[in-house]
Amino acid sequence: MRHVARMKRIADLDMEPLVSAILLRGIVLSVSLIVAGLAWQWVATGQFGINDILQGVNVFHFLLGDLHDVSVAGLHPDVLVDLGVITLLLIPYVRVLASVAYFAWVERQWLYTLLTSGVLFTLTYMLFFG
Amino acid sequence: MWFGLLVLASVAAGLIGAVSGMGGGVILIPVLTIAGVDIKQAIGISLISVVALSCGTAVNYVRGHLANLKVSAFLEVFAVIGALAGASITVVVSRRPLFLLCGFILLASWVILWKDWDRAWQSVRSPEEGSRRLILEGSYYDHVERRTVHYRGRRPLIGGALMVVAGLISGLLGIGASAFTVLIHDAVLGLPPKVSAATSNLIIGVMALAGASLYLEAGLIDSKLLAPVILGVLLGALLGSRLLTHLTNRVVLRILFSILPVLGVEMFIHGLWSR
Repeated sequence: MRHVARMKRIADLDMEPLVSAILLRGIVLSVSLIVAGLAWQWVATGQFGINDILQGVNVFHFLLGDLHDVSVAGLHPDVLVDLGVITLLLIPYVRVLASVAYFAWVERQWLYTLLTSGVLFTLTYMLFFG
Repeated sequence: MWFGLLVLASVAAGLIGAVSGMGGGVILIPVLTIAGVDIKQAIGISLISVVALSCGTAVNYVRGHLANLKVSAFLEVFAVIGALAGASITVVVSRRPLFLLCGFILLASWVILWKDWDRAWQSVRSPEEGSRRLILEGSYYDHVERRTVHYRGRRPLIGGALMVVAGLISGLLGIGASAFTVLIHDAVLGLPPKVSAATSNLIIGVMALAGASLYLEAGLIDSKLLAPVILGVLLGALLGSRLLTHLTNRVVLRILFSILPVLGVEMFIHGLWSR
């Protein structure tokens, strides 16, 4: 009975509110991290400028590098801003991922599932392995 | 001072990008290059600003059913295939003739479409079998006309093929190619200008993300410039996406026609500068 109710809840999901919610949460998180990093930088140095040229990394290595920095030197303003940028870059990726899941499980539109999977595959290659 | 000016320019870029669907590069790239930023770094920053613009506008456009998620899903696959192909051959192709060619295409499109400058949008009456099968249709509530507007897309295969070309240009030149996306939505698929701008904003986010990842790998993204640009563009995008719902389709079309020649000239200038 509970399983049926859950399946009905999934079938009643609308794609627009789902995508909109993903985008909004991603933006709030990204902006929060960037503003926190800038505010910290300003308090520490009296300037907003973050000096950090990102050398030859894909998004995956960018994220790994920042997490490594946090584990070695702890959190600092540059890392917070970087994490905000990474969050922003991952929002469209998560949006496409949600679209694949929606077309497959809710709408059961196999053509669209295939099309969005193609986009997801290409983006995965470019962001994480390119 | 520089931080504040960059935020202001980014707000303007977000606002114009949100109502036109053509990204914010038309403002950001000249501002950054005039301020002494290298053109390649300016394009890299502009690409990330397009990702921010796409996310910022999509919140309102998707919720208000202005952005069509099926049209976006259908065209995105062609765009990213083109972008991947373009990025793969970018090292063996000279950028100068491509920029010049793109500038010529944009200016030629502007001249050809000029006679339609003041036209009222009309819904496609009888879409082909392909459009019906792909369910390229939708509706949104128009706050200006105070009615629900129903629309249908047409010529999906031609639109898809042209999106491969737009993606290819995006991958080759490292730009969002948003002007081409809007032209395809408007002139080929026959979508209402507001839906064209809103759906284009969604698609160019994915195309720009693919391009931005290449610039990131090339070490051409200066994070000192990123924070003010992202914050400014997001603010402009949120304001612009609210503004679009209060504009008529005719005004949106006029905005598109006004920006098209500016982008064409910018492409020519990039062509003359690049090697």
